[in-house]
Amino acid sequence: MLTVRNLRKSFGGLQALAGVDITLPDESILGVIGMNGSGKTTMLNCINGIYIPDSGDIALDGASLLGLPVHEVAGRGVGRTFQVPRVFQHLSLLDNLDVAQTGSAAGNDDRYALSEYWLKKVELLRLRHNYAEELSGGQQKLLELARIMVARPKVILLDEPFAGVNPQLAQMLIGIISEIASRHHCAVILVSHDLTSIYQLSHHIIVMNEGAILTQGDAATVKSDPAVIEAYLGA
Amino acid sequence: MNSLLIQGLLNGLILGAIYGLIGLGLNIVYGVLRVVNFAHGEFLVIGAYFAWVLLQYLGINPLLALPISFVVFFGVGYLLYFLLVPRMSKSDDPETSSLLLMFGVSIALSATLLLVFEADSRTLEFAIEPVFLSFGQIILPTIRLVALLISVLLVAALAYFLYRTQVGKALRAIIMNKDAVSIVGINAERLSGVAFGLGIALAAATGVIVALVFPAFSPFMGNDYTLIGFVVIVLGGLGHPIGALIGALLYGVTEQVAAVYFNPSIATILGFSLMIAMIFIRPSGLLGQRQLR
Repeated sequence: MLTVRNLRKSFGGLQALAGVDITLPDESILGVIGMNGSGKTTMLNCINGIYIPDSGDIALDGASLLGLPVHEVAGRGVGRTFQVPRVFQHLSLLDNLDVAQTGSAAGNDDRYALSEYWLKKVELLRLRHNYAEELSGGQQKLLELARIMVARPKVILLDEPFAGVNPQLAQMLIGIISEIASRHHCAVILVSHDLTSIYQLSHHIIVMNEGAILTQGDAATVKSDPAVIEAYLGA
Repeated sequence: MNSLLIQGLLNGLILGAIYGLIGLGLNIVYGVLRVVNFAHGEFLVIGAYFAWVLLQYLGINPLLALPISFVVFFGVGYLLYFLLVPRMSKSDDPETSSLLLMFGVSIALSATLLLVFEADSRTLEFAIEPVFLSFGQIILPTIRLVALLISVLLVAALAYFLYRTQVGKALRAIIMNKDAVSIVGINAERLSGVAFGLGIALAAATGVIVALVFPAFSPFMGNDYTLIGFVVIVLGGLGHPIGALIGALLYGVTEQVAAVYFNPSIATILGFSLMIAMIFIRPSGLLGQRQLR
């Protein structure tokens, strides 16, 4: 379980996070929506160690992640994807996944099998020997997702996974994310502007505004919240 | 093709392979860390002295000194990384700072060598019988052929490491995207230390080969080798290990074939003209655009 308590982060005079609390049970999907600049990505950056929060705590299964460098947070089981995928452009797809298993005690064959499993899952297996730079933007997002999954994370943070992805790939991505939570026992924080996907996937949704949680609940609660309608949905 | 030309080509190939090792070490350090290691040539000369000391005082065969130097200087480089580089990366312009810092290190190392070994040139008193091998009209020193074989083996081992092992792939990955390497759980600082250690180890091992191939070495030679290293990486592509090898072969063959027909000074001018021409025609070098495939 991932817990975030009273998370605060400022950049100069700008308060990006103003006391955020999250409880993310295992195998659950938390949808995060909010206007640009509402603090969604800053929150993800604090969780995976890119930013050090000014105050508050972040803990995974009771152990604090606060102050740990990015690679140690990843080593504890927190995977992360980005709005603009950060794949290794000039490595093959298989090598991209192999690099992500550098700390693994598994042998070559087992690592290779795991890489193939996830490449098949994201329908990139036939391109396994191609270089990542040859993939479309949407395919690179799928590769980035496969790359974090071979590390067998406990929690994954997905930042705008549907942005720039064609509807067919987006539909496949929805299926994979749902399966990651249910079959691979992984909790997911899903930041997206794609409300349809958020409503479809999330067990719980938080709406962020000016660095704080404006409201939260299931899809029906969020959709009908007057504050959300006014501040975010604009209808 | 006359025998002189063939001899020039073979000499070019042999020296090109040695220059390639110099460029490879420089390029790995630059590619991973963006550190312009101006002291690379000094580490090479230290490697030559290391083999000389082992032979002179412990009677260790230079061919055995080569792997020993690689291991010892890998450790030295790994520790030196943590002493020098992380602090430097906090400066406003780390690349320029690295050039100035490593230039200072090169002067300090050269002065230390002068202090310890004095200015006289040293020779590695080691020969392989027969001293020369003749192939028709072509005569080559046996040691040069051995040096070529060692260089090819070192390059092959390095290529295997970079392209077939997980740490090697991670080293190539960090050249492409340092942040992403951390995000997949790899300690980028430790990996950078490995890259720096590898660069210094390659320099020292190349120094042993240089001591085997050339008649003498002195504390003043480091800058010459650093310069050759920069020429070959400009030719092959900055930050590209395999590019450095191709650039080195091009430079070595040009220099040695020119030396067959012209004054040695003209051969040097031609070698450097090649670099200048490359900057004008293809500023990123032969493989610069292809990155690390």
